[in-house]
Amino acid sequence: MTRHIACLGLGLGSALGAVGPGAAAQARPAPIIRIEQRWPFAADGSVRIVNPAGRIRVIGWDVDTVAVSGHGAGAFAADGNGSVRKLVVTGRADLEVHLPRGARVWVKSAAADIDVVGVDGTLDLNSVSGAIQVVGTPVDVTAETMDGRVELAGGTGRARVKTVSGSILLRGASVDLGASTLSGTIVVRAAGWQRGGTGVQRGTFESVTGDVRFDGELGRGGIVELESQSGAIHLRVPGTTVADFDLLTIGGSIANGLTSDAPQRGTLRFATGAGGAQVTIRSFKGSISLEAK
Amino acid sequence: MMCADMEVQLNEYVDGTLRVAQRATVDAHLAGCAGCRAAVAELRALVAGAAALPKSIEPGRDLWAPIDARIVQGATRNVQRPFWRGALAAAATLVIGFAIYRLLPPSTVHDHPEGTGWVAVQAEYEQAADELTRALAFEHDRLAPATVALIERNLAIIDAAIRESRDALARDPGNVELRGLFAAASRHKVELLRWATRAAT
Repeated sequence: MTRHIACLGLGLGSALGAVGPGAAAQARPAPIIRIEQRWPFAADGSVRIVNPAGRIRVIGWDVDTVAVSGHGAGAFAADGNGSVRKLVVTGRADLEVHLPRGARVWVKSAAADIDVVGVDGTLDLNSVSGAIQVVGTPVDVTAETMDGRVELAGGTGRARVKTVSGSILLRGASVDLGASTLSGTIVVRAAGWQRGGTGVQRGTFESVTGDVRFDGELGRGGIVELESQSGAIHLRVPGTTVADFDLLTIGGSIANGLTSDAPQRGTLRFATGAGGAQVTIRSFKGSISLEAK
Repeated sequence: MMCADMEVQLNEYVDGTLRVAQRATVDAHLAGCAGCRAAVAELRALVAGAAALPKSIEPGRDLWAPIDARIVQGATRNVQRPFWRGALAAAATLVIGFAIYRLLPPSTVHDHPEGTGWVAVQAEYEQAADELTRALAFEHDRLAPATVALIERNLAIIDAAIRESRDALARDPGNVELRGLFAAASRHKVELLRWATRAAT
């Protein structure tokens, strides 16, 4: 979190200035820019990208080079060396950045959509209203956007996703997942052994009013928690899942389609075997439903 | 773009968990739908990537190791000063306690017994929210109008949720689960305000 705050001056200082009221006051139109540059770069180097608006597309490749191309309005600056590279747009641009697959990538934007494809390193992606999409198997992902949707497809070692009102979709075989939204929805489609993964070992999914849906496989011994104030929570797992289930709603309803156990006074606790996963679901007034795949 | 109503079926198609008849239906659909064919190809590509993922979770950092090292170091430097050793151990306990407090999932963080602990937690959240609200008011004009509208809309949602939890707690003050839900809603508010303040400044 401290890192986010520290980076804010660099990123959103210019970014928000461009989309806020200050931008409207600028009388002169921003100059048109065309970007086409490349630098030799370490396979595990760090790339920082700031682009207030437009689009940012980051593509991992098997070349030890950072190559950036794009066009837009405003100014573009690049600085750094063979292991750290900073790319900063002031204004708006559609950027395409190719970088080594194992690079660490940090992106900050206000309204630009962020797409990342084929990067295996650590991703730290921030936007205010832009959408964030990641396809691939990065080792660690942090994605935050207020209003945009977030979609991670593929699989990550660890993912932390946060939105205010944007929807979150996590697809693939990830190990450690965390998603939080206030009024958006969370959908998790967790692949497990059938796709070569381990199932979710640790998952925390929470909303205030948004619905939360988990559909997939739980890791053996995994811990999964779903929580919502008023959104509906739906858990759909294979009928053969071995887990301890602990469900509670203060004012909502519980429907158990997984076993014959019946809820009593807003609580339902049962186990489908020993040594399995642990599922905890908490809701204030939303409905909770369990279903067998 | 895959057909919206096909997502579940396509995933199960790739997983191989569809019945024969359902599979035939999906096959027929795929024959005439390029978007869904692309989605199936993408899902199948996940298999290779997923196999390379780590099989266990390594902790990001070990809090205890450096603390333990400091205690041992202190002990060997002056074994005649048990007071400092005790103080270090107490500090370590506090650090670990705080770390656990921060790291535990929201539903288990605030299981304080009824009394001052819980009152302090409520006060902490309220103070944090008040401070951030004041800070945001100063920077309000730097945000785009659409962002301001989004924040205000969601603050109204979260305030309603907090109000509901608080009313329920007033009726059942000893309910640990209710406290957890109240704390979660309060935490969402603090995080939203912190986020908005960061974006504005």
